[in-house]
Amino acid sequence: MGLLQNQFDENVLTTRVDWLLNWARLSSIWPMTFGLACCAIEMMAVGAAHHDLDRFGAGAFRATPRQADLMIVAGTVNFKMGERVKRLYDQMPSPKYVIAMGACATGGGPYYKYGYTVMKGVDRIIPVDVYIAGCPPRPEALLEGLMKLQEKLRNSSVIRKPARTA
Amino acid sequence: MDFHGIHDRLKAIDAPGLLGVDLPRPPDKETKDPGRAGDSFVLVDPQRMVDFLGLCRDDEALAFEVLADLTATDPAADASELWINVNILSIEHRHRLAIKAMLPKDALSMPSSVPIYRAAQWHERECAEMFGVTFRGHPDPRNILLPDDWVGYPMRKDYEFPKEYHGISCE
Repeated sequence: MGLLQNQFDENVLTTRVDWLLNWARLSSIWPMTFGLACCAIEMMAVGAAHHDLDRFGAGAFRATPRQADLMIVAGTVNFKMGERVKRLYDQMPSPKYVIAMGACATGGGPYYKYGYTVMKGVDRIIPVDVYIAGCPPRPEALLEGLMKLQEKLRNSSVIRKPARTA
Repeated sequence: MDFHGIHDRLKAIDAPGLLGVDLPRPPDKETKDPGRAGDSFVLVDPQRMVDFLGLCRDDEALAFEVLADLTATDPAADASELWINVNILSIEHRHRLAIKAMLPKDALSMPSSVPIYRAAQWHERECAEMFGVTFRGHPDPRNILLPDDWVGYPMRKDYEFPKEYHGISCE
């Protein structure tokens, strides 16, 4: 509560509901423990001490989709795994967000032409909020993607219906 | 033992299904032979491969305890045969052997090598789904990598890429 402490006299807090909810949401985006290929190694690097995803409140990797807000699709999605990815996405509670990390999850990547069983982008089965370029992306790129998602959350509203509810 | 030593031993013990050798050779300009690089193979009848491997494993001078690899090669779309490539390894004698078996594409069936090498289970499952080879007597002939309802054999040269899978476009 460091942000709000001692900001107002007499313990009266005035804020917009939108602002408060968005602040709470974007400061605790819990991702799902979930990696598919080499991008997952970079994702683990982001979670570890050097890049420290916890600074953004997004370091609590949940072992179940039912406690997760964010799915970081880190790696190549093939058709066999795609069905599982869809099923995991369906089990996440709303509001839920998806980051397509790297070339494979964005559009098939190096497997675009000859990958007979690789899905040409995870957005063919689930809606994606943020795409991150790179093969694999640098850890900084994933942090940037997360900050983009936070920006999106900061501008969302509970009163007006969002453009897309998942 | 080197390759020729192994081959001589195989002939001496009258290994079942042994057909000959396939050796690398330099290119020849006069006969316009492009030559061949790579391993020296022994050629084996695929229908007797399992007996051949059994002997390679049990013969004391050969003692191939390890199946290092079992896969197939489709040399060309218009080729009439697939190559079944098997690599076996002896840790005791520190030698290895590459085996090649020609399997006609219109009868892609051969006995499973699992009774000799249990390591062949996953190799044969992969070979079956990627090339369409049936390994008779395999204890668990499911797909190992591809989805169960996959159509076609992706590693064949004449494979046609799917247009869609479960309504998801592959284009």
